[in-house]
Amino acid sequence: MTTIQTTTPQRCETRYFGPVDYDESAILVFPDGIPAFEQETRFLALQQPVNKPLVFLQSLSNPGLCFATLPAQAACPGYQLNMSPEDLDAIGLGGGPQPAIGSEVLCLAILSLEENAPPTVNLLAPIVVNLHTLRGRQAIQADSPYSHREALPLRGAACS
Amino acid sequence: MRRRAGESILIGDDIEIQILHIGESRIKIGIVAPKSIPVTMKEMELVRQENLAAAQVRSVAALRGMLDKLIDGPAEITP
Repeated sequence: MTTIQTTTPQRCETRYFGPVDYDESAILVFPDGIPAFEQETRFLALQQPVNKPLVFLQSLSNPGLCFATLPAQAACPGYQLNMSPEDLDAIGLGGGPQPAIGSEVLCLAILSLEENAPPTVNLLAPIVVNLHTLRGRQAIQADSPYSHREALPLRGAACS
Repeated sequence: MRRRAGESILIGDDIEIQILHIGESRIKIGIVAPKSIPVTMKEMELVRQENLAAAQVRSVAALRGMLDKLIDGPAEITP
């Protein structure tokens, strides 16, 4: 029997990029999955220079599941979080103020693409990941000025 | 039906909606229901549907093509 070292690269199949090597320390953990995919609790955030600023959330247990996302502040400069106490608790930031995007949390808006329509981003419920613990959750924002389906590019007023 | 803070509504035998606190622009509600009945915000259903749709994106190229027109960005060109 062999013990897997945490530094040993693992390999997973991905929806868009073929096999990808990763380190276990890079796994994002979503204890409750995400809505409609509650069983999917472990994801990788994949980036390619050529596809900046896109970030792909690839499920580790389901190679066919990969979300294309944009950093919320790339989709909407000035975007700020307004998470519920329950959601903050779930990613280990309960009792604190709204976390700072970039330094405390990663904040990604899932992209959706329908034919003959501009792509949309879900700014109502971004994926928020605690950068210190890599615990994540899709968090419906309170009093959100944004919808779950904001067309890109966003109207200027929405982002001020 | 009108209710004040501290009062409740019963739905059937085993669901109770409690009006806990009434603020200026929002109210705090307590819900007592059997574990078999999921209780979620309505927005959660929108998010579920949107996630299902988002999981269907066919290819990165299609996405890239549309985004290039929309986002000022480091359009890094690969030879």
